[in-house]
Amino acid sequence: MIETGVGTKPTTTKYRSQFRIYVDIMRVIQREGNETKPTRILYGANLSHDRLVKYLEELKALGVIQESIDEDKTYSLTQKGIEFLNDFRKVESFAGAFGFKL
Amino acid sequence: MEFIAAGIAMAIAYEAMKGYALVKQRILLYLNLSFILLGAGLIVDGFSDGIIIFAKFHRAFLFLYTIGYTINFFAQLIAYGILVIVYIQQTRSFGTQIAMAALPIMFVQRNSFTELILVFLLVYISAQTAINYSVSKSTNTLLVFGAFSCLMFAHVLFLLYTLVPILFPFAQIAQLFGFLLLLAMLFRVNQAI
Repeated sequence: MIETGVGTKPTTTKYRSQFRIYVDIMRVIQREGNETKPTRILYGANLSHDRLVKYLEELKALGVIQESIDEDKTYSLTQKGIEFLNDFRKVESFAGAFGFKL
Repeated sequence: MEFIAAGIAMAIAYEAMKGYALVKQRILLYLNLSFILLGAGLIVDGFSDGIIIFAKFHRAFLFLYTIGYTINFFAQLIAYGILVIVYIQQTRSFGTQIAMAALPIMFVQRNSFTELILVFLLVYISAQTAINYSVSKSTNTLLVFGAFSCLMFAHVLFLLYTLVPILFPFAQIAQLFGFLLLLAMLFRVNQAI
């Protein structure tokens, strides 16, 4: 489970967008074959550099992505991250069936 | 039939709770609460009907019918009311307000007035799910639209049942079919990965 604070103030867009950004970043990493450079995430998730760094640190702290530094710095999803995205897709589909956007 | 429908309602509630545990979006909590109430109401109604049948319609047990129906009615009223409010908040159309404050807090018999309230709520929910389907064109939204349409149709039949008693089993079947469509949606969601 990712504790994002989503739900504590669902009417404000801040928390929702933060959660959506987390998911977007993770989806970009997955789409890029589960190993990608920060620049690809930056363009894929449409984020500024500062915000990207902030969110990547938060996602690392949550244990859903990991950083590897060989020649280049790359990011990949952890097993927890892959499972979260699969579960999230189900929840998104379930809520979407009722017309609710997460 | 009511126990099958209740089981499906509880399965939907469980799925919504799982979703809430994952993403902490209150909308899933409301969905969970709504379907728990629907399931609980159906269970109570089913039990009260079952006891009356088991007691061979003995006069001493007939009050259970009224109690069972009353609990089921208020459970459905709150459950569908929650869904209507959530849809109103989602669409930001605050113009529509549900006048629930005028409801008498007392035991109610199955009658045209109580069923009319539920039909009114289900018409709104069905219309909203129809809009959802027209936007997304996905099978899951179609199943949810079909489910709420069946539930609405069931309550129209329950409404007419007070005039034409033979419609009662058809209303029960329509209600069950509605919940079966929700079950089909649940299977599709869980097999989508």
